[in-house]
Amino acid sequence: MLHGSRVLAGALAAAASCALQAAEPYPVRPILLVVPFPPGGVVELVGRPLAASMEKFLKQPVVISNKPGAAGAVGNAFVASAEPDGYKLLMSLSSISVIPEADKLFNRKPAYTLEQLLPIARVSADPTVLVVQSSAPWKSIKELVDDAKARPAQISFSSSGIYGALHVPAEMLALAAGTKFRHVPFSGGGPATTALLGGHVQFSVQGPSAVAGHVKANRMRLLAHWGGRKLDLFPELPSLKELGYDVEYYIWSGMFAPAKTPPAIVNTLRKAVADAVADADFRNAMDKISTPIQYLDQPEFTRFFAADGKRLAAAVRKIGRVEEKK
Amino acid sequence: MVEVAHNLLLGFQVALTPAVLGYAFLGCVIGTLVGMLPGVGPLTGISLLLPVTFGLNPTIALVMLAGVYYGAMYGGSTTSILMRIPGEAASVMTCVDGYELTRQGRAGAALAIAAIGSFSAGTISVIGLMLLAPPLAAIALKFGPPEYAALLVLGLLVLAFLSGGAMVKTLAMAVLGLLLGTIGIDAMSGFMRFSYGITELADGVGIVPVAVGLFGVSEVLLSARNGAGTRVQQPKLRELLPSRSELRDSAAPIARGTLLGFFIGIVPGSAHVISSFVSYALERRLARDPRRFGRGAIEGVAGPEAANNSAASGALVPLLALGVPSGALPAVMLAALLIHGVTPGPLLIQNNPEIFWGLIASMYVGNLVLLILNLPMIGLFINLLRIPFSYLYPLILVFCVLGVYAINQSAVDIWIMLVMGAAGYVLRKLDFETAPIVLGLILAPMLELSVRQALAMSAGDYAIFFTRPIAAGMLAIAATILLYALWSAFTRRALWRKTVGLEE
Repeated sequence: MLHGSRVLAGALAAAASCALQAAEPYPVRPILLVVPFPPGGVVELVGRPLAASMEKFLKQPVVISNKPGAAGAVGNAFVASAEPDGYKLLMSLSSISVIPEADKLFNRKPAYTLEQLLPIARVSADPTVLVVQSSAPWKSIKELVDDAKARPAQISFSSSGIYGALHVPAEMLALAAGTKFRHVPFSGGGPATTALLGGHVQFSVQGPSAVAGHVKANRMRLLAHWGGRKLDLFPELPSLKELGYDVEYYIWSGMFAPAKTPPAIVNTLRKAVADAVADADFRNAMDKISTPIQYLDQPEFTRFFAADGKRLAAAVRKIGRVEEKK
Repeated sequence: MVEVAHNLLLGFQVALTPAVLGYAFLGCVIGTLVGMLPGVGPLTGISLLLPVTFGLNPTIALVMLAGVYYGAMYGGSTTSILMRIPGEAASVMTCVDGYELTRQGRAGAALAIAAIGSFSAGTISVIGLMLLAPPLAAIALKFGPPEYAALLVLGLLVLAFLSGGAMVKTLAMAVLGLLLGTIGIDAMSGFMRFSYGITELADGVGIVPVAVGLFGVSEVLLSARNGAGTRVQQPKLRELLPSRSELRDSAAPIARGTLLGFFIGIVPGSAHVISSFVSYALERRLARDPRRFGRGAIEGVAGPEAANNSAASGALVPLLALGVPSGALPAVMLAALLIHGVTPGPLLIQNNPEIFWGLIASMYVGNLVLLILNLPMIGLFINLLRIPFSYLYPLILVFCVLGVYAINQSAVDIWIMLVMGAAGYVLRKLDFETAPIVLGLILAPMLELSVRQALAMSAGDYAIFFTRPIAAGMLAIAATILLYALWSAFTRRALWRKTVGLEE
């Protein structure tokens, strides 16, 4: 009897706490926004001002936490398997859909799957650009591709790392043009730029804002970009699509929540991101780092994410495993 | 020259305005504190402070962040000397002789020499930064993967001079470090190596968890075993200052460390970490009695401390002159600059002279602030040693765990630290030196990556190492050192045989 009533009381308490939880306004405590990269990267540069602006609308601190490791896999996996209560969110990069694909390629147990993550909003998107040293002989993509066809796998390029955001687009171009380039991976976009400046490789693929200063200082020349429309930073630059190579590639950043996050919380977050990207402070900050805001709300972002993921997965599969010597 | 003086004057006008001075001071204080915590290095400090600077003007923000940067380089020596906990990888060598000096009651002197060395190195290297930035940066760009590989081969040779113990034991430890360095994702093919399904190991074994484990945790374990045998230090005031002979012995190592650190710091990549190791090895090699090293040689503190501070300024050369960050730390500084709408590079000096020269001048001021701040604090820090071990050591362990966790917010790092602590305890009981493990761990991934990048550049042709002048030159130096070492080992053995023969 006593036992039964205790169970009943317990059940009642549990039910009450459930009801409380459902009614509990969100957010009531600080939100953790995980950036799966070391400090200083593009995601953090976008994420910090975004978090600052979101705070104004959510009335709770949004704290950025760097959880770097394995090119983003550690931080992505951390949020993918987090409690879906809206207090642990992820700010990640386009590479989020490449990592599980690369895991498959090597028969590894994937650190996370894309089904574990719920897209909230895309914040920025920047197509990559192809840069050469200003002293390089090629004045156009056609010249570069023709040269590469004459001597396949001789022209080298630097990337931020294998299957990374700067490697995949170069391989996509090589596939579309029917030739091969020589890949020299570096550990990060910065070293990849340095290698091009020092003349240790012949071209590189980069984000527009990363090379804008070097282009202005006349140390680098742009040949084309991977986008679908004109670049704000370089309106004159042709896209590869215009030039007849059917490739598209964006370095985008977006916000994700664990898959099972309740709709009410998701809607609050969507609203907060929408308000934040319209906020003058945020726009100002993005202006300074020359990164275009390309906001997409959840429905469009979900569609874009699926299409982009498919594109990237196909590219990674085509690149396949990289054997050391061919 | 007149122009430089004029520009510097402009810089000091910026640097000495009360607001800039105040923030420089604040940056230095925060940096010192951040540097003292194990694990929480300048990288964490700057990234945490970055959002705070959003509202400030770019000059002030940059001056404050730079203050954190070189302040942390100062602070890193304190825990190394007092407690044998390296705050960051560059402080590992300071632990060895610095802590020995503490055990001999010379903690104050070691701290003072570290501060003076850091100050001299900081100030002199800023002069280098000011005068040589653009031309040096251009040379630094010539350092591609083959040159980097050659530089690291030179770094490997340094291993042989690192420890005073038996050569076989040193090399065994170095190999252990190199093996640990092979764990993680293979940068050229994307394969995971020895990670056993632990995603956190994809980036390899962290240097700081290993260093803190091998040095700090093992020391706590060893002292606990010694129990009552270890006495509480009661330093007297006059023992706080370095003696005249200690100052004299430190002058040359500081000068050499400054030069060495500056030039290694300029090289793009993370080579600046090895500057303190190279400096230590150099001092040991040049010393009249190398056996003192590892037993409390003041030169073993002076050289590496100067080198690591000077490398910090050197690393700013490619950043400010070209907009090219030479490592993780300058990359965060670059991000900070961009956030404030400043694009570094040759145009920075033209377009924003007040920022460039303001920063340079504030670095002079900041270094002075740090010296003034740190010398009187030595007395305070020394008092930490008065805390009985039964209270102090648990606290040290807590700080080790907190600091190591803070780097990547990763519990795996804590386990690495604890395992390394246990390993360090056993190894030190068996008379193995642990510093070569750390250097091996630092060098292995860098060397492997650069060798394979170079081979990727040449499609597998090894000639790339010998046809490029800088790489070939450094490899020739390495070969000469190796031959010389072999030859002297040979002749010494002959000499030893002779003496033994005579005795018989």
